[in-house]
Amino acid sequence: MTTITPPLNMISKTSRRAPWARWGVKSAAFTYLTVLLLIPLIVIFQDGLKGGLDGLWQSISQPIAWSALGLTLWTSALMAVINAVMGTLTAYVLVRYNFPGKSFLNAIIDLPLAIPTLVTGVMLVVLYGPQSAVGSWLKTQFDWRIIFAPSGIILALLFINYPFVVRAVQPVLENLDRESEEAAATLGAGAFTIFRDVTLPALWLPIISGALLSFARAIGEFGAIVVVAGNIPFRTQTAAIYVFGEVESSNRQGASAMSIVMLTIAFGLVLFVDWLRRRNQKERSA
Amino acid sequence: MKTKLLKTLSALLLVSVLLSACAAPTAAPTATAVPTVEEVQPTDTVAPAPTDTVAPAKPAVKLTFAAYSTPAEAYAKIIPLFIAYWKETQNQDVTFEQSYAGSGAQSRAVIGGLEADIVALSLEGDVTNIAKADLIKRDWKTLAPKNAIVTTSVVGFAVRKGNPKGIKDWADLAKPGLEILTPDPKTSGGAQWNILALYGAALRGKITGVAANDEKAATAFLTSVLKNVTALDKDARGSITNFETGNGDVAITYENEVILGQQRKQDYELVLPSSTISIDTPVAVVDVNSDKHGVTDVADAFVKFIFTKAAQEIFAQYGFRSSDPDVLKATASQFPTVTDLFTIGDQFGGWSKAKPTYFGDTGVYNTAITAAQKK
Repeated sequence: MTTITPPLNMISKTSRRAPWARWGVKSAAFTYLTVLLLIPLIVIFQDGLKGGLDGLWQSISQPIAWSALGLTLWTSALMAVINAVMGTLTAYVLVRYNFPGKSFLNAIIDLPLAIPTLVTGVMLVVLYGPQSAVGSWLKTQFDWRIIFAPSGIILALLFINYPFVVRAVQPVLENLDRESEEAAATLGAGAFTIFRDVTLPALWLPIISGALLSFARAIGEFGAIVVVAGNIPFRTQTAAIYVFGEVESSNRQGASAMSIVMLTIAFGLVLFVDWLRRRNQKERSA
Repeated sequence: MKTKLLKTLSALLLVSVLLSACAAPTAAPTATAVPTVEEVQPTDTVAPAPTDTVAPAKPAVKLTFAAYSTPAEAYAKIIPLFIAYWKETQNQDVTFEQSYAGSGAQSRAVIGGLEADIVALSLEGDVTNIAKADLIKRDWKTLAPKNAIVTTSVVGFAVRKGNPKGIKDWADLAKPGLEILTPDPKTSGGAQWNILALYGAALRGKITGVAANDEKAATAFLTSVLKNVTALDKDARGSITNFETGNGDVAITYENEVILGQQRKQDYELVLPSSTISIDTPVAVVDVNSDKHGVTDVADAFVKFIFTKAAQEIFAQYGFRSSDPDVLKATASQFPTVTDLFTIGDQFGGWSKAKPTYFGDTGVYNTAITAAQKK
């Protein structure tokens, strides 16, 4: 006796007939989510809020903590902007042009997600550090230091977050109806005008959501930054490194307080991206 | 035209990604932050063949040993010696489970439930924290020889070959434009030794241009040195690895790290300041764990064993100043003399006093690093 996969209409019927199955699936998912995500998050909040909101504010408003947070936010924001522009360009090239090795290049884009970020950091120091050919040339010619400076932080973040915008824009671009582009071309519009006025408006949502998600991820980045930044308070110490320092010097409350701020920013961004998507879907269906 | 340009760009991108992919694996081993656990089996080549006179074999035991990362190479040689010694004298097989990581991280791991029987850490405070967590019941400092200080080293400088920047003493570190590496005192025990070595030398009037016993002047000097620091790595090993990669003019570090580096054919040189601190690293049996495992007698024996001449000679080979006076005398040529050597006890009244004063939230280090950024 072999079981045969039931036809689709059968599946929907059985699931309607057996509410316990749906209930089982749902509760399994919820339990998993609670154990894996919700409980650890609650513990962080509980830890950071031990001293109440005042205590949280006191931890965050210390000059070293405050400047670490500021550095994290501006480097992540700059990375997100560059990523938005260059990621869109990459996606455009991958979708609209044909060239040898395209599928290989396409596969490589996800690699930054697979490489341990610590390795990324070490590689960047070897490549651009003050002792390297590139690093020393930039230093002597332009007095520009990449490693052990904010530039290094941005560079590392760009590398690590490369896939986000590309992978958000690519599918939308692939499914884009090209008729309106062709119509614009028939009417005599140049390539750039078409891109700006016809293609780009359809890509805003994926670009912004990709950039914001990369921003959210960048806030918490540790492995690469601990190697490239130099970690000097007020100059090159980011929030994640600050948290590490507080954990190591047995100040869990301070570490959790900063974590709460980082989490809240990231969570707010994810919610915002979700809201943008919903709004867009509604507009389309309306 | 446009496609051609884009093709070229894509090709460049491809090349750079490939390059980075190639660079990654070779660069990876330089980062050694992950604790490693390895088992050392008794070596049957050293163990003597059992004879009729030896007592019947006892069941084999396992010791869990957690240490800070620097003496890993030395322990890798000492542990097999102990295993052979124990087999010979007690006719019992011992296996070791070893873990090496930052001193603070190990201390927290043991408090958090890593059931280590013995700890060897870089700061006394890290052992004290384990005792405070009620995991060490006995008076560990008097139980072991030499106040449980198994080896010492001193804070010194690693400089580039030929000492091109002419670094001779603390005062040279404040020269504008110099690039200094030292680990972050927030995360590294070694970094705290470094800061206290500098501060102690300043207070003792051994730094040119800094008045003795003047805390303001000492803090100002610390500030001017911190201004030259280009990277605060997370631990002592990370800092010296960074220096080996080619970054920085000077690394403030342990003497033994420099000696070990030179043994590994690194071409940097050791410079010792005229006045510096003695780095005393403790060892202790975590008796609550060892009682639970029923291995307290073996653990105690191991702690005694690492103070023996045989073990101390191995420490000396790896650049540590021995706590055994005879071994210290025999290996004296390896270690440059320090004119003014002080300890944490006689200059700062011990770690329990020094920690809050220098590394607390409003401590000297925070004051200095804050001032260093306001130019």
